[in-house]
Amino acid sequence: MKRLVALSLFVALACTLGITGCAKKTGDSTLYVYNWTYYIPDDVVKQFEKESGIKVVYDVYASNEEMYAKIKAGGTGYDLVVPSGDYVSIMIAQGMLEKLDKSKIPNFANIDPTILPRINFDKGNEYSVPYFMAAAGVSVNKTLVKSYDKSWNIFSRTDLKNKMTMLDDMREVMGDALKTLGYSVNTHDQAQIDKAKDLVLKWKENIVKFDAESFAKGFANGEFSVVQGYAENVFLEYDPAKRGEVDFFIPKEGGPMYMDSMCILKGAKHQDAAYKFMNYIHRPDVYAKIADFLMLPSVNFKARDVEKVKPNYTIDDMKNCEFKEDLGTYLDMYNKAWQEIRVGK
Amino acid sequence: MKKHYGLVYTTPLTVWITLFFVAPILIIVLYSFLQKGLYGGVEWRFSLDAYRALINPVFGKVTLDTLAIALVSTVLTILIALPCGLYMARSRHKNLLLILIVIPFWTNFLIRVYSWIAILGNNGLINEFLRGLHLTESYVPFLYNQWAVTIVLVYTYLPYAILPLYSTIEKFDFSLLEAARDLGASHMESLVKILLPNIKAGIVTSILFSFIPIFGNYAVPLLVGGKDNVMLGQIIADQITKTRNWPLASSISMVITVVTTLGLAMLMLIQKRQADAQREEASRAAEFARNGA
Repeated sequence: MKRLVALSLFVALACTLGITGCAKKTGDSTLYVYNWTYYIPDDVVKQFEKESGIKVVYDVYASNEEMYAKIKAGGTGYDLVVPSGDYVSIMIAQGMLEKLDKSKIPNFANIDPTILPRINFDKGNEYSVPYFMAAAGVSVNKTLVKSYDKSWNIFSRTDLKNKMTMLDDMREVMGDALKTLGYSVNTHDQAQIDKAKDLVLKWKENIVKFDAESFAKGFANGEFSVVQGYAENVFLEYDPAKRGEVDFFIPKEGGPMYMDSMCILKGAKHQDAAYKFMNYIHRPDVYAKIADFLMLPSVNFKARDVEKVKPNYTIDDMKNCEFKEDLGTYLDMYNKAWQEIRVGK
Repeated sequence: MKKHYGLVYTTPLTVWITLFFVAPILIIVLYSFLQKGLYGGVEWRFSLDAYRALINPVFGKVTLDTLAIALVSTVLTILIALPCGLYMARSRHKNLLLILIVIPFWTNFLIRVYSWIAILGNNGLINEFLRGLHLTESYVPFLYNQWAVTIVLVYTYLPYAILPLYSTIEKFDFSLLEAARDLGASHMESLVKILLPNIKAGIVTSILFSFIPIFGNYAVPLLVGGKDNVMLGQIIADQITKTRNWPLASSISMVITVVTTLGLAMLMLIQKRQADAQREEASRAAEFARNGA
């Protein structure tokens, strides 16, 4: 088995050398970007290629775990990755990221200064440049639910029994309960986790299922009146003409939020190109284009004046939210509570 | 000199099975005895933690729930597949019917599951119909419970059960049924006493083809199951992606493998016993005939 692992590592290494080998010939005229799916409009990348003369090789992933596993398995030649906060801290701890020279990113100054101090996963942004931040919220179908409070306690309403769903996502749902009780979404306190578990169990009586796959479809066809989830998932399914029927809000108690940040991988071959790309992304006109495409709140305050589309929610709506951080060994406490919620004792 | 073609014929199959069946299972066995890595993967240190974690009553409950759903779905699947296979084998339009069985495979499995959501949903086809007949004012909640999971599982694995049954029944000599009727058996009796024992191999294959994938199923309970319908397949996926405990995912898969293998062994044992009993009976009858003569 060990020999098999060694063999596959050797193959991976050979591939890496192959990629970087041919990249050397072209110098910094190429940039290897590894980003989330549907996270940047094509023309933004094309425009960068045109302006800088750097060819962008773009590859995508669907989860942090997928990205992390691929990089960890043997650096496949990427220069720039966009992990969420918890994975930024993991990758820093594992020595997988390059320390940034921020003088090469003058547009870093365009980033909302009120956001930076809230970042604990990379204090002082030594390794990461914020890309987008977002949070899951609650979508209400106003034709089916006339009056409601903008609070997580909507899931305690027995009159909406079996017409609501919550995400099948431990950190999100537990985080909402922790916030409702006034605790941190990253708590390490067993008593607080237990109380949050009891609250989620109360919510569970009223929801029809924990669902992260098809809740948006069910919400769009009127099957569910209230769903917890990401705005982009909901609006992707909902008839744009009837968009006014939907109220998406971040509950007043706040909840977990995430920040995806651009990072340069340790030993990346095209760091100059990566710096140019990061600086380009935070140019107000460029960033506004991406924000309009994603309809997410802008972390670039100068872009907010250029944006043409109103985002689904604003940074201010997230004022009580808290970034999800890596829990390390404390993850097990959450796992146990979540298992008891999903399966019962 | 006579050439030994045996090796030539068996090598591809052996390599194939080793690469894609034995090796993966060995890796799962190996991982289940290692320590979990903090960020996924494994640490190369021997540990029984993954099996100790299985003692957790949560897994016992999920295993029993999964077993119950798998058994009920398999029985229903076979009960529906039997008359279908029988009808197909006797029909004059065999080929047409065969094509009809295969056609659903042209559509992606997930899309077919989503269409069940459209059929069974609160605003779905059936509820529209019931409302039209004024049998209900709002809706009947068909979806998001264990029955929705069972219906969709039966639907999904029905073709896999029908095909082996059809091919066995097709080879059955139907004049035996006429003989049974001549000797005074009712129609039902002739089917149960003559047809069923003769197509046992097909029934066993159908049971295996439906039970094994149902027991490890992941997508169906995820999409049409409710908040209380968690199956082993989902727990395994969660351990890999969310809780980053690969050894535990491996030890749970070992549970699935062991349960399936035990079931398989039991079926084979029963078959062997019956075959032995039959052979004994036959030899006794032969002896009786000799002595009589």
